Amino acid sequence: MALTLAPETAWSRLPDSQWNQDAARHLLRRAGWTALPGDVERATKEGLSATLDRLFPDTVPVFNQPRQTAHMVTEAEELQEKVQAANEEDKRLLYREFQQKSRNAIVDMTIHWMRYAARPDSAVFAKWILFLSDIYVVGYEKVQRAPMIYKHFDIISRYAFAPAPLLTKAISRSPAMIQYLDLNQSQKKAPNENFARELFELFTLGEGNYTEKDIKEAARALTGYRLRKGSELYYQPNQHDTGLKTIFGETGNFNGDDVIRLTYKQRAAGAFVPHEMVKFYLSDTMIDKSYLYSLGDQWRAQGYSLQWLAKTFFGSTLFFDPSFRGEFIKSPIQYYLGLVQDLNLDIIPVPRLVINPLRQMGQVLFDPPNVRGWVGGRNWINSSSLAARRSLAESLFAPFYEAGLNEDEKLDVAAARAQGRGIFTVENSRFQSILSLSPEEITQKLTTGLLAQSTSPALKESITNYIASAENVPGERLRRVKRSMVSLISSPQYQLT
Amino acid sequence: MATNTPQSSIPTTRREFLRSSATKGIGLLAFSQFAPSFLVNSTLAQAPKAEKDRSILVLIQLAGGNDGLNTLVPFQNDDYYRLRPNIGIAKDKVLRLSDTEGFNPVCGGMHNLFKDGKLAVIQNVGYPNPNRSHFRSTEIWETASDSDRVGATGWIGRYLDNACSGTPEGDHDPVAIHANTLNGAPESFIGENPHATFGLGGYGPNRKDAEETRRLLETLSGSPSGDHSSESFLKHTLMDSLVTETKVQKVINGYRTQANYPTTPFGNSLKNVASLIAANLPTRVYFVTLNGFDTHYNQIATQSRLLTELSNGLAAFQKDLEAHKLDNQVLTMTFSEFGRRASENESKGTDHGTASPLFVMGSKVKAGLHGTAPLLNIPKNQDITFSTDFRSVYATVLEKWLENPSEAVLGGKFSTLGFV
Repeated sequence: MALTLAPETAWSRLPDSQWNQDAARHLLRRAGWTALPGDVERATKEGLSATLDRLFPDTVPVFNQPRQTAHMVTEAEELQEKVQAANEEDKRLLYREFQQKSRNAIVDMTIHWMRYAARPDSAVFAKWILFLSDIYVVGYEKVQRAPMIYKHFDIISRYAFAPAPLLTKAISRSPAMIQYLDLNQSQKKAPNENFARELFELFTLGEGNYTEKDIKEAARALTGYRLRKGSELYYQPNQHDTGLKTIFGETGNFNGDDVIRLTYKQRAAGAFVPHEMVKFYLSDTMIDKSYLYSLGDQWRAQGYSLQWLAKTFFGSTLFFDPSFRGEFIKSPIQYYLGLVQDLNLDIIPVPRLVINPLRQMGQVLFDPPNVRGWVGGRNWINSSSLAARRSLAESLFAPFYEAGLNEDEKLDVAAARAQGRGIFTVENSRFQSILSLSPEEITQKLTTGLLAQSTSPALKESITNYIASAENVPGERLRRVKRSMVSLISSPQYQLT
Repeated sequence: MATNTPQSSIPTTRREFLRSSATKGIGLLAFSQFAPSFLVNSTLAQAPKAEKDRSILVLIQLAGGNDGLNTLVPFQNDDYYRLRPNIGIAKDKVLRLSDTEGFNPVCGGMHNLFKDGKLAVIQNVGYPNPNRSHFRSTEIWETASDSDRVGATGWIGRYLDNACSGTPEGDHDPVAIHANTLNGAPESFIGENPHATFGLGGYGPNRKDAEETRRLLETLSGSPSGDHSSESFLKHTLMDSLVTETKVQKVINGYRTQANYPTTPFGNSLKNVASLIAANLPTRVYFVTLNGFDTHYNQIATQSRLLTELSNGLAAFQKDLEAHKLDNQVLTMTFSEFGRRASENESKGTDHGTASPLFVMGSKVKAGLHGTAPLLNIPKNQDITFSTDFRSVYATVLEKWLENPSEAVLGGKFSTLGFV
């Protein structure tokens, strides 16, 4: 990767003269899941600044709490009451039943979130939330409560474009995070360092920008956090260490909020989120530190506004550098949602048909492998995960196998259809309008906007020849057009964005 | 086969691929700047791999929740007929296995296997704190976890983590193959490390479509660009799996079966598995799905059709393996996410339940009834209680068949049973 830009100017706005369809496509693909031709046209016409204002707006599209998850809050309250009167054996049964319901709720929430994220008007924001949740990681496997996971994501949404210190402060109050990193286990006498360590290493500064002593002292300041009824935060003064602590060279009777305030006084805090953005949105190969610090310093001067950061990053000359275009491997979620948008489909409301492919491709929503989040990039790809991508692509073109559904799944499918969200696979009728065109024209229609890199003449020729050599029997051309499409979305080229 | 038989122009093994690369100037030479470590390693290590232990496991998933009580019928038990006044199977119809238990009348093939000493029946298999969701209970069986713990990896995947860590990365033959599954690779196959797995048939495209897609993809991933780009990396990875696919397809197309398999996707999948075993692939585990057991209403018709398919499929598979003298290498085992409620419902069907029997077939099994039958002196709508933990079955297969310590794979010590 040869970036020739000067660090001081790399983050300045892309000149209008360089704003064109290709640039718009790059922006839409990276900020969202894909670039639909209509959206590319609109963005090109509106200009870069107006497009950024639209993609990163002041008022954001909210992800509403799914009913099943909301209901778990009531369930949790009822559980508390029931447990009090129960004997040991019944208690265990009650907890188990609760856990099962919570598990169903998180599965249901996954479907709802995928549906929300696939909507054109919320795609970019949903991806931004996914990005932030890949910094402030919690996992269902440990948290075990769907409403807590929802609340965590809701906190991120509310502060998604706020100053980062406010977001971090809110995260330190997120019950899911408190549980995930054992903050509620931290005692005055024996402070648990888990949260303090990840706060510095994975949420705000990055390795090498703090000492072990800073962690120990910060852990002392971060005492007194407790959860009530399993999910409600309260402050326990007698578990808080009120002694003097020295963190980043400053001494005082600090509490958790002070730790966060002190953290954001470090220069490294400015470079950290830009570093994570490059990793999540831009490139497998990390750019030079000088670029990160250049953006970081400007961001700090802007009071760490995440909205400013998003607009600056996605509008910068560096972001649009040709060396980055079409060179990034899609995450499984982006592959899935990109397909759903490119093929104009609805998310099928059958958990196993959504979650199993995601799992096989290596990314289950709400359940990252550990607090580091997903590594991403080339790590997404191996022979099994690539086979899983192909199998997902193929499944979207086969008539969906209804007889294989279980009874409860049939009900959900019927409900989705009744709501007009029942197109789960690509139907033959979708191709009718292009069948009478010439093979070259069909190839043009199929490939337009689909691939991140410009479609090579050789690739087009392969597809064109394949379609052109169809025998003149009924249905054969349609079959070949469908095969072409399946091959295209399974191709190495389509995995790139 | 003569060693100097002319090869087709398409390489069908990695080694062949590399060889043809060397002579025809495609492949390795062309992308020598970017030869991923697995390619380099395998060119360095072209000596054939030592013949490993060849014991093979075939898993058959009965998806949807098979009704155990109408598969293995306790025909002397009055409670059975009390709980199932409409769908209970009459005593004089069952195929007797013992004085108290008998097969559903459509299970003639399985009955013969039982009598020939090639089928073990493990009764009343389940796990504590049963979950009645298809999705979740399947997950529990596939991850072999406690029902209140969500596991991230499958038991076969963990077995492969254990057993195949020494396999050179360059050997790209799949270690596990699945066929006819509803949605891609089963969770069972997911390990801590990625393993080369491969999927066959299922509800995917037909052979012609699959072949044409493969050819198109070969064209699209052809001519590696010889640089460090993500695209080159993807092309190489894809090319790898296309090589495997071509090889597998060739094996399947050239196979001559010695048995009459059911002419269904399931029967066909079993035949394909037999062909791959006969081709001496290093694959250790196969996973085939038979789906549709969620019989909430009019159970008799649906379950009869499915059990016929299962029974005839198993019988044909065993016969085929025997004809090819492969039967000593293969153990076949069924499982289902749960059994069904002991009492029938109002629609002449059964609702989700708990434990059920599973079947293990092979020339090396200790045939007969294992474990104990479920107690049925329960009120209507109450579930039966399992008597054998499914992880004991897994432990037996791991220890006694695959000869692999089970504790690390299953995350705990489970006693082994006597069916192998």
